[in-house]
Amino acid sequence: MIEIKNVSKSYPNGVEALFDVNIHIGKEEFVFIVGPSGAGKTTLMKMLYREELPNSGTVIVDRINVTELLPEQVPYLRRAIGVVFQDYKLLPRRTVYENVAFALQVTGAARSQIRRHTMQALELVNMLKRASSFPEELSGGEKQRVCIARAIVNNPTLLLADEPTGNLDPTTSWEIMELLDKINRRNTTVLVSTHNKSIVDSMKRRVVQLEGGRIMRDQQLGSYNQV
Amino acid sequence: MKLFGDIEFFVVEAFRGVRRSGVMSLVAIGIVTVSLFIFGLFLLFMVNLGNMVAEMGTRLDIVAYVEKAVTPDEAAAITEKLSHITGVEKVRYVSREEAWRSFRDDFTQKLDLATIVGENPLPDSFAIKVRTPDILPKVAEAVAQYPEVDEVRYSGKLIKQIQTLIDALRLGGMVLVVLLFFATLLIVVNTIRLTVLARETDIYIMKLVGATRSFIRWPFVIEGVLIGVLGGLFGILILKPSYDAVTNRLQVGLPFLPLMTDKFTLNVIYLVVGISGMLLGMLGGYISVSRLLKEK
Repeated sequence: MIEIKNVSKSYPNGVEALFDVNIHIGKEEFVFIVGPSGAGKTTLMKMLYREELPNSGTVIVDRINVTELLPEQVPYLRRAIGVVFQDYKLLPRRTVYENVAFALQVTGAARSQIRRHTMQALELVNMLKRASSFPEELSGGEKQRVCIARAIVNNPTLLLADEPTGNLDPTTSWEIMELLDKINRRNTTVLVSTHNKSIVDSMKRRVVQLEGGRIMRDQQLGSYNQV
Repeated sequence: MKLFGDIEFFVVEAFRGVRRSGVMSLVAIGIVTVSLFIFGLFLLFMVNLGNMVAEMGTRLDIVAYVEKAVTPDEAAAITEKLSHITGVEKVRYVSREEAWRSFRDDFTQKLDLATIVGENPLPDSFAIKVRTPDILPKVAEAVAQYPEVDEVRYSGKLIKQIQTLIDALRLGGMVLVVLLFFATLLIVVNTIRLTVLARETDIYIMKLVGATRSFIRWPFVIEGVLIGVLGGLFGILILKPSYDAVTNRLQVGLPFLPLMTDKFTLNVIYLVVGISGMLLGMLGGYISVSRLLKEK
């Protein structure tokens, strides 16, 4: 599903975000990316949906060579990838329903499809009853559910969540992780970057640890810290 | 159905944009209006100058006046003689009666000159057409040598000067129009950029979920078209009555001025002004969002 080969990335300001990174992630895997702030977790994710390009190396997502993609092909890559953010990035003037439907609308989906898929996604994240609320009326956990609904509404094969529980309390964090786990069991590859030790430790999934832009550890059934 | 949904989305978003940057949109519409008004004035001015030159071109004649009235036989003899001058294409005898008639026809619709002047003050004359304007002076000189000829007149020099003037005006006008175009475009781009900035997150999300660049662009292009078309419309609404008022006055004051009053030509000019507004707006909208759409 994901093939990252010899990828290095430094930003124009001189920061070296990634250095010779190699990762292979299979279909329908659930992978935690851990490491301190500035370790390169976000950069790694941005490479996958091509918000950033590596200085060297190749990135392959779902058999697509992301690094060689032409600008006009980029939208079609992104339709296969859902992205969830720590700060949700919901559109404040649109309702919950509109926020989720927006993702389908702007890819030119038919109206009947938009309605059906939006309802299904909201149902999956258990937010159907808040469909006509505006983001400011929601709690953090609810906002993150909507963000997840938007990310999965067009049935992506890959879901990226960049510190999805960074702003949430422990109980809500658990609910969000369970939701991501549920989506993973519906045959979606899920990649989650997090600082949340207790969740990583108890979920016992594959853990990739980044530090200073290098992979320190890549372990099946791993925990947050090396044992 | 699908296309209809997309278009509805674009138009709704465009109107949201215009409303969101309300005052600035009004300013932009006003500036487009003024620019297109000036552009229209320029077009009308050029069309009228062209018209004038064309009119004068048909009078590319030397007129040789004789001192007193000639008999038909004398007229034929003089016609024959003048025809032999090199460069002369055609010579036509114009009796004083004929000259008076055409003079009155030109003027009496607008002025009651006939009653002011009273009797016919014009002499007999010969209208001499030459092959090319540049030999006018030479031919005129040759014509003047004949003893029958009292006075020679021709307008070639004037036409040449006017033509030079028009070329200069056209060049200057085009430079002005180009400058005006870029200044107006800049205003339109910056106005729509306000909407673009207000919607940066929307655009980011659109890119993220895989909206194509053209899809993201359409609402902004339509917003530009709204501004441009409204500006164009107001421009025409000022231009048309202004032109009508000016031509009406000029026709009374300077009746011999060949003003452009052809409805069709004028409507084409107004249409050009309107379409220019639309294109200006489209381009503005297109440019305004371009920076955000760049992929790495």
